[in-house]
Amino acid sequence: MKVICDREKLREGLALANNVIPAKSTKPVVENVCLVATDNALELVGTDMEVSLRYCIDDVKVEDPGTAVIPARVAFDFVRDLSGETITLEVKGNTCTIESGADTCELVTVDPDEFPVVARFDGESTITMQGGNFAKLVDQTAFAAAREPGRYAMHGVLAELEADTLRMIATDGRRLALSETPVDGAGGDGVVQCIVPTRGMQMFVRAISDPLDQIQLQFGETKVGLKTKNAEVFARLIDGEFPRYAAVIPAETTRRMEADRDLLAKKLRLVANVTGDEARAVKLKMSKNKLEIFGQSAGRGEATAHMEVDYKGDSAEIAFNPDYVIDGLKNCTLDTLSLEFTEHTSPGKFQLGEGYVYVVMPITVDV
Amino acid sequence: MSPSSPLTILHVDMDAFYASVEVRDNPSLAGLPVCVGGPASSRGVISAASYEARAFGVHSAMPTAQARRKCPNMVLLPPDFDRYTAVSKQVMDIFRRYTPTVEPLSLDEAFLDVAGSERLFGDAREVAVRVRADILRETGLVASVGVAPTKFLAKLASDLDKPDGLRIIEPDQVREVLDPLPVSKIFGVGPRTARRLNQQGVETIGDLAQLPRAEVQAEYGASGLWIHDLAHGIDLRRVSSQRVEKSHGMERTFPKDVSDFEELGNMLLSFSEEVAFTLRDKGLRGRTVTLKVRYADFRTITRTRTLEFATNLGPRIFSTAKQLLDKVDRGPLRLLGVQVSRLEDVRQPAQGSLFGAAETEDSGEGSRAAWMASSEKLSAATESMDELRRRYGRRTVVPASLLRQLREGDDGRAEPKPEIAETAD
Repeated sequence: MKVICDREKLREGLALANNVIPAKSTKPVVENVCLVATDNALELVGTDMEVSLRYCIDDVKVEDPGTAVIPARVAFDFVRDLSGETITLEVKGNTCTIESGADTCELVTVDPDEFPVVARFDGESTITMQGGNFAKLVDQTAFAAAREPGRYAMHGVLAELEADTLRMIATDGRRLALSETPVDGAGGDGVVQCIVPTRGMQMFVRAISDPLDQIQLQFGETKVGLKTKNAEVFARLIDGEFPRYAAVIPAETTRRMEADRDLLAKKLRLVANVTGDEARAVKLKMSKNKLEIFGQSAGRGEATAHMEVDYKGDSAEIAFNPDYVIDGLKNCTLDTLSLEFTEHTSPGKFQLGEGYVYVVMPITVDV
Repeated sequence: MSPSSPLTILHVDMDAFYASVEVRDNPSLAGLPVCVGGPASSRGVISAASYEARAFGVHSAMPTAQARRKCPNMVLLPPDFDRYTAVSKQVMDIFRRYTPTVEPLSLDEAFLDVAGSERLFGDAREVAVRVRADILRETGLVASVGVAPTKFLAKLASDLDKPDGLRIIEPDQVREVLDPLPVSKIFGVGPRTARRLNQQGVETIGDLAQLPRAEVQAEYGASGLWIHDLAHGIDLRRVSSQRVEKSHGMERTFPKDVSDFEELGNMLLSFSEEVAFTLRDKGLRGRTVTLKVRYADFRTITRTRTLEFATNLGPRIFSTAKQLLDKVDRGPLRLLGVQVSRLEDVRQPAQGSLFGAAETEDSGEGSRAAWMASSEKLSAATESMDELRRRYGRRTVVPASLLRQLREGDDGRAEPKPEIAETAD
């Protein structure tokens, strides 16, 4: 194999591949990146067996097509630190030489037959949509997915394709984010549902280099794929049962408050400063067009903040973990958001954008 | 606090507490080697030994069989914790007359900090004399008291003139008292550390204090700094009346090894209910459930699981402990126990859950998990049951699956109790 390509393009490709390729694995061969040179393109392939990437660099000069499997970290580090404009990759025997100007590096290659088979986009894609819209859905939901071990199905984002809508839902059992967007050509009857690991979703988003470009999605039995102009990413689906989320999104509530997003976020942060590390809670007390935010901790003291809001009902209060609320506000696309709830023990529903709701379970105090 | 801090800390230790209560209530036992504990036939251990019994080399935690060999004439009594608890409460109330800063360590010992009580009751020495007199007059029991500038020294002092002792370690006597004592007297120096120190040529606390601090740290790490401080009489721990309980549990050594896992499951249910009741009684709940299992060959394992949310409900604790039990190797067991830790106050704010437990945890059996999901209902019912238990005794309300056991008289009360140990720290 012998290829001459642009250094910056190779660096970008290797950087993306290293987001998938594990630094350490029980299966050491996947710590490598697989380079495939065909006619006028160089493809970089990487996987951690859960998520995989094929990244295509075009405008390369392939003098001799072929395949090489080389250590991914070292290759990236070396290419990053080179200063020349172009790079020559050449494989002879079991050595891969990376050369740029006066500088060279020789890496030991691994037998390509040992490298796992990595999925490739073929056949029909399920839907086509703008990359930016897809990324937005992920950004607005993935943060709410579970991180602690033990609840496998919640370690991913549920993607739901129904009629002309793509919906994503993530929850860690205490809060839940749901965001949806219209898509063309989904068409089919029924609902396609799959749980994509959070890491896979994040990789999808990374692969979208230009938000205005169209992407293609393919929903399979065991995996879901995303294709951009240069990249194909597949994520193995989580085989589990996602909680019945629809039941916990309050349909009717008795109280509703509207507040300025930035001001609310600022006041929450202010008060959250005094709350402790364990069981962080801030209390929102609403009375006619007024909101008082109160927080305290045994060790530190207490804080109160006030702001004007739009609230008409009788006085009410509800307490939340401020971190959860702030997480949601960060992704809020509206200048004025609304919070609806019925009781201090029932879930609070934040409307954070069109087709974007965020449900947070309150913190309650017994006795 | 250093040795030169004011002399305000008392350590009060009831002498041979359980045994003394028994002798007090049955004077015909006076002068005899009296022990409280479980019978040798069911692998009991000694919980307390009177000084007459100690003369034969019997001490607490010794297997009863061994104690019997050392002292064939010993009088062995089954423990009556309700009575000891009542007396203990009486004693603790006496302490609280002199200072609000009382830190109970167990039923029969406590630290007191009398700083600030001087104008009312005199200095620490005087309080010590009065406390001892009050205890003797009101309970008929004898206590040993140590007075010192720090907790470690106070505890050491109460031990020095036991029984019926009152020992004061003045700030300027610290070196004189500490130097000749063996290093094993230091709290935190167990047999292994003591052996290591001895091999280094360090026999006494004085020897240890002589060593450069850096050297002790290099050899023993952070605990090296701790024991080095103590060797110098430095102990920064305060007496705290708000001692936070870290865990609560119950375990039992069986008279005979038990292989029947159904029976073990039932015991686990009974322990879980007891532990849960105690937690509720103390206004606590916990997140981590630990199962302890000791096989016939003494191999001991613990298995732990942390719940999504803290609980003090028996069925919740049981279902978790049972899942852990189902995963351990089968085999005859000599001990089974369950413990709940990561405790928090029930008044602490609790993060609500969007889904029932059935949705968020893979709780094994579906039906039980579904039942658990109705924990709110369970909580309400538990409250009424607790009311009954408080009024008529803990065994008034029990899970139906334990009824048969109860009828057969195996309610843990018919038998002597030392093999059932409630653990808390």
